[in-house]
Amino acid sequence: MPRILNGIPASPGIVVGPVYRLRWEVPEVPERVIDEGEMPRELDRLHDAFVRAVERLRKVRARAEQHAGPAEAAIFDVQISVIEDEELRARVESVVRQNFTAERAFDVVMLEWREHFARSQHAMMRERVGDLTDVHIRVLSILLGLPDHDPVDVPKGSHTILVTQDLTPSLTIQVDRECVAGIATDEGTRTSHVAILARSLGLPAVVGLLNATARLETGDRVILDGTAGTLVVRPTEAELQAAAIRTKREKRESRQLLAIAREEAITADGVRIVLRANVDLPDDAQAAATSGAEGVGLMRTEFLVVGRATMPDEDEQLAAYLNVIGAFEGHPVIIRTFDVGGDKLPVGGFPHEANPFLGWRAIRMCLDQPEMFKTQLRALLRAALQGDVRIMLPLIVTADEVRQARALLSEASRELTARGVAHRADVPLGIMIETPAAVLTADTLARDVAFFSIGTNDLVQYTLAVDRGNASLAARYTPLHPAVLRLIQRTLDVGQAHGIEVSVCGEMASEPLMAFALIGLGIRTLSVAPRSVARVKQIVRGVHTSVAAEAARAALESGTAHEAEAIFRARLQSEVGPQPLGS
Amino acid sequence: MVERLVTVVNSHGIHARPAAEIVKTAARFTSHITLARDDLEVNGKSIMGVMMLAAECGADVLIRTDGDDEQVAIDALAALVAGHFGEA
Repeated sequence: MPRILNGIPASPGIVVGPVYRLRWEVPEVPERVIDEGEMPRELDRLHDAFVRAVERLRKVRARAEQHAGPAEAAIFDVQISVIEDEELRARVESVVRQNFTAERAFDVVMLEWREHFARSQHAMMRERVGDLTDVHIRVLSILLGLPDHDPVDVPKGSHTILVTQDLTPSLTIQVDRECVAGIATDEGTRTSHVAILARSLGLPAVVGLLNATARLETGDRVILDGTAGTLVVRPTEAELQAAAIRTKREKRESRQLLAIAREEAITADGVRIVLRANVDLPDDAQAAATSGAEGVGLMRTEFLVVGRATMPDEDEQLAAYLNVIGAFEGHPVIIRTFDVGGDKLPVGGFPHEANPFLGWRAIRMCLDQPEMFKTQLRALLRAALQGDVRIMLPLIVTADEVRQARALLSEASRELTARGVAHRADVPLGIMIETPAAVLTADTLARDVAFFSIGTNDLVQYTLAVDRGNASLAARYTPLHPAVLRLIQRTLDVGQAHGIEVSVCGEMASEPLMAFALIGLGIRTLSVAPRSVARVKQIVRGVHTSVAAEAARAALESGTAHEAEAIFRARLQSEVGPQPLGS
Repeated sequence: MVERLVTVVNSHGIHARPAAEIVKTAARFTSHITLARDDLEVNGKSIMGVMMLAAECGADVLIRTDGDDEQVAIDALAALVAGHFGEA
């Protein structure tokens, strides 16, 4: 069995520690029919399991309250009430009386309830599916004699590496930084919820490991390398030393990069490149400002709605936006409206969809829920008084969406005026270019908007029909595919013809090789993760736009993503020396 | 039997925590308790039922209590809703 597991680097840093394997998934229930004589015993087992589940939840609640606070811990009260629900109990008992075992009866009823809640048209009901799933897992585990797994059981100061299939919101609440030093998950991608969370907590994380939960046992010692995206199982002395050396080197490099942060982003042949930062959480803003970024090219606002019990009101949103604007005086701050859906579930979750990435998400969801959307727009219009705020709409495929959003923006402004609240009415409105439809109609869209920002994550997956969340397809997710390069080039041409700014704000721009390719295509404004700003600036200062452009011309005409990549890599190497593989 | 129409006034509506509060309060009484909104009537002692009301801020909910302590029960429940379930 290989001792090194490869995943996706999600949050940088290297840690060594013992594994805590968390199995949080609905267990398989064996099929078995019971006869009448067994019923009393099954009913007893059922009640016993309910009592133990409630006892357990009370303990989990008490500990979560200590480090996460009473409001967050209240989620467990709700789960306790569900287990104590008389209608739920009566329903399960009636199924037992139809010759089902206690576990089978409970399983059937919970599946039914979860389905009912998940399909509801009310967000308030869909919002509860996570709690029902948690109850489902907890009670079944007890009935099946499976061990308890709760992150709150991790001892303080143990420096544990949490290994789990995926991190749900209720598990997240239990993550205590005094116990957990790193996170490793089977599922997830660089941009999924767990990665965002790990970065915000400053915990190294590797996601998309596929089978780490199957390979590891609680107590196994591992090296988790969130920078390289690896997990070394039961490391040798030599591997531990190598990890220590790498940790030191990373620290040295980050000091060097900090020095570069103060220099200008100008290419070797004197072309000015604007480098902005992507901000996932308001707390990232300060790091983004010190990284040398000239403004925010993409402020994501999903943190306001993902994994929360209730929608944030206008004032709470305003405070979050002002936090970021305050860190970037005199620079533009481009704020993207809620881009929930796909792998980012909003408050209330979503109705189950067969194909969520092609489903009810981002601008579609916002336009269908105008009251929710206008709350965000009002907060943005108010925030715009304090700085150079620009509003960006995600997942646009038609000009209708832009016009509807603009109408709601005017309504939001009128509502603020009616309330006598000061705001800026003429905030620039731009769009994300992340669908082939938007690229192909960019010339008509350009009449309605102030700027384009290319979101490479989605543009790549919608163009190549490759799900970026599917770890089995990771090798087919190729941002340098000539089709993607041509779409980017076409967007740029349209932007130039209409005199509007075209920037790139996807993950792609964070990688030195990709940044080089984008500069070659003619992109002059990039927005990258704060920790990548200095690294990209180093590349910018080392390359000639003429060399990059020549590489881009060849890559645009190449047959495959691999050929295109080889062309860019060779040219970049000739300019700045070899780049680490995979970047 | 007594009944009273109440309006949900807390900003987040009867989400999970208020639903748990309603059920906890209802459980203190022996009366049969139901809540109704539009066509949907649910058992006031069942959190699953109360959550299914999906009653947001501004929704009208009809509380019905039936039994020996029906008057105290309805007063307690109406006060809970009117008092924002102790939240903003």
